[in-house]
Amino acid sequence: MPRKTAFMSQWNQVTTVHASVLLSGCMNSVEQKIYVELNSTVPCVRLLNATHQIGCQSSISGDTGVLHVLETEADLDWILSTGPHPPYMVVMEAAFFTRSTMVKMKNSSRVAGVAVIKSNTGPTEGFSPHTSCPNQNTGVYTEHYGPELANCNNTVWNPLGNGLSYEDFAFPIFSLKDDNQTQVIRKCYEDHNMRMNGSAPQYPLCAMQLFSHMHAVTDTVTCMRRTDLQNSFSINPEKLCDPLSDFNVWTSIRPLNNSIKGHKENESVVIAAARLDGRSFFWDIAPSAEGTVSSIVTLLAAAQALYPVALEAPPQRNIFFTFFQGVSRGVKMHLKMPVQLIWSNYISFGMLKTIIIISSLWMHSDPVSRKNTTVNKQVANLVANIKSVASSLNLSLNEPSATQALPPSSFQRFLRVRPVPGLVLADHQASFTNRYYESLYDTATYLNVTYPSDLSPEQQLEYETEAAKSLTQVATLVARSIYKQAGGEDRFLNNITADTKTVAKLLYGFLIMSNNSWFSSLLPPEALGRGSILGLVITHIINTLTSVTRFVQFILANMTGTVTKLNQSQCQNPKDVPGESKDLYSYSWVSGPVSVNGTTDPYCVRSSVHLSKALSPAFELTDYGSREYSTWTESRWKTIRARIFLVASPQLEMMTLGVGVAVLLVSLVVTYFISSKAELLFSATREPPNTTY
Amino acid sequence: MNLERIPNEEKLSLCRKYYLGGFAFLPFLWLVNVVWFFKEAFVKPAYTEQPQIKTYVKRSALGLLLWVAVLTTWISIFQHFRAQWGEVADYISFTIPLGTP
Repeated sequence: MPRKTAFMSQWNQVTTVHASVLLSGCMNSVEQKIYVELNSTVPCVRLLNATHQIGCQSSISGDTGVLHVLETEADLDWILSTGPHPPYMVVMEAAFFTRSTMVKMKNSSRVAGVAVIKSNTGPTEGFSPHTSCPNQNTGVYTEHYGPELANCNNTVWNPLGNGLSYEDFAFPIFSLKDDNQTQVIRKCYEDHNMRMNGSAPQYPLCAMQLFSHMHAVTDTVTCMRRTDLQNSFSINPEKLCDPLSDFNVWTSIRPLNNSIKGHKENESVVIAAARLDGRSFFWDIAPSAEGTVSSIVTLLAAAQALYPVALEAPPQRNIFFTFFQGVSRGVKMHLKMPVQLIWSNYISFGMLKTIIIISSLWMHSDPVSRKNTTVNKQVANLVANIKSVASSLNLSLNEPSATQALPPSSFQRFLRVRPVPGLVLADHQASFTNRYYESLYDTATYLNVTYPSDLSPEQQLEYETEAAKSLTQVATLVARSIYKQAGGEDRFLNNITADTKTVAKLLYGFLIMSNNSWFSSLLPPEALGRGSILGLVITHIINTLTSVTRFVQFILANMTGTVTKLNQSQCQNPKDVPGESKDLYSYSWVSGPVSVNGTTDPYCVRSSVHLSKALSPAFELTDYGSREYSTWTESRWKTIRARIFLVASPQLEMMTLGVGVAVLLVSLVVTYFISSKAELLFSATREPPNTTY
Repeated sequence: MNLERIPNEEKLSLCRKYYLGGFAFLPFLWLVNVVWFFKEAFVKPAYTEQPQIKTYVKRSALGLLLWVAVLTTWISIFQHFRAQWGEVADYISFTIPLGTP
């Protein structure tokens, strides 16, 4: 028997090695056999302000629910009351994503989560998840200033707004694209979860699990307090939320000396502004074509048209082109721009808002500030200037009724400080004409920026759509009006014309693909090949090189700046170079046109384009519960993912657990008996092993 | 350590050390005392040091019960009311759970 024992032990060793190899090799494929991971999901995240939280939250280990596709009203009843396998994970087409459905689901405990399948075009009647009265509590109209105009008493600006973006959901809501992956989900549903002849489906059922656990909770005050405590006392400091901030972009015809503080008396300026941000119900996707891109493109084209003439024949007053962040959040940006700007005695403000069609353009003004005769005279002067320019361009421009409020815009923020003459130029007379204000569907298609399908990307870049032609005319109007308002002479007005090709390229870059040759040539070399922007959302932490703010900054620098002969090190630090001043100008090293074999010819651009941080003063004053300033923060999270798999009935799971526990107990009992009778069972031929301690 | 092998005087001194150590806000020492010396105090046939060991074990058990009662009450109250206490609760928490009030 010694020989037999040796052989047996060798065989055991070989088997053990084989088993472990097989086990490790099989581990990955077992998981893949169970779970199907869903890529490219877009979650809805949690945002907090001084008093509330909005958005969605999942539990820390994901929310699981049996899949059910919502196609009819009967399905809604099944999910909310009659279905026998709650909680349900609802998959719905975009048409069902309405306020009434979502509020019913919010109040039900049988819904584990929602996945919305996004369609290419929105519902025909329009869809806007924003509130019907944007910037209600943060605008200029309060009970002390124009109370009859506050809270949209006078005009409801966004009548299609259902306020979904500002609701607080206790389950995760994801957005899925209608592609192969969604077909997999539908197939899983049809194979396992469909009702046969009105009876409930049997286990195993197809289920989906969504992970989007948010760290912040309650409101900004709580979140910032907990972050501060974590940073001071915990061994593992973690930030729970980030204040929303980004950068405003601004430039001026006559460069301002950044190092000089204080203001000059009796200096007056003209500001032309547009908004730079947008949002939608879901995170980081905000195409905002009509809402924001149209006005950005118009203002950029106007700047490009105006600059050569203004440099040749400078107007009396300085002109500023500004792009403001944070307008959708209640205009919270802190203007760290030069103080002269705010306290000038005379500011004319022209604000561009949602320009799309020029069949009808309207000039909105604030009736409360116009009660003051001086301001009224200045506004009337501005209106007259614009109208005279418009008539020479064959455009029709009108003012709405004199008692109508000013639409929500960053101009209201200026008015909160002091009455400033200004206008908001928009394509709507009363309520917004944008049917998809701040939603996922405000895309290029809605703006009619479409290209014939046989064009290559480079050809599409240059193709002039109808929208581009319209916006060019508006840009010309804006540029000439600003020049005239700033005291420029009329004989130079005809030289100011916006370029349709530039507008076409800008529209293509901001709406279709930002990774095109023109944009790439305007960005720094390290930004090449980084991928394209998804939408015009405020980024709150990292100012990445491919965000919209950066694009606008570099495009504006290209349009209004000059090429210099500095090399890279001089460009980054020009203080030793004679004739260059870091106080007056900003210098950027851009890559230039990319040649066929991928090499670039970078150069240095000097411009007066500056960034100013758009962080709410509430965070600098650490007054997180402020009512005066905006206090929006976005929560942080660890993982966002989704997966589908089959689940068994709870009875089967309990039975498996029960059998396992029973086997454990039986084995314990058997082992005890065997070990207590060991001498009897194993005595015969073996020598007892040496006992050692 | 195997209590079978050490002499009774050492057992007594060990029991006393654990008993006294438990007063330094260390109820687990009392728990160990009770569990370890239970057989010695109540099951084994009598020996000279046994009555003293018995008192130590009984007092350790009493102290342990007291600690368990206090801690259970405080933990129940804290877990139940932490969310409502808001700021105060955050200041007395060591680890604050993420994503819940």
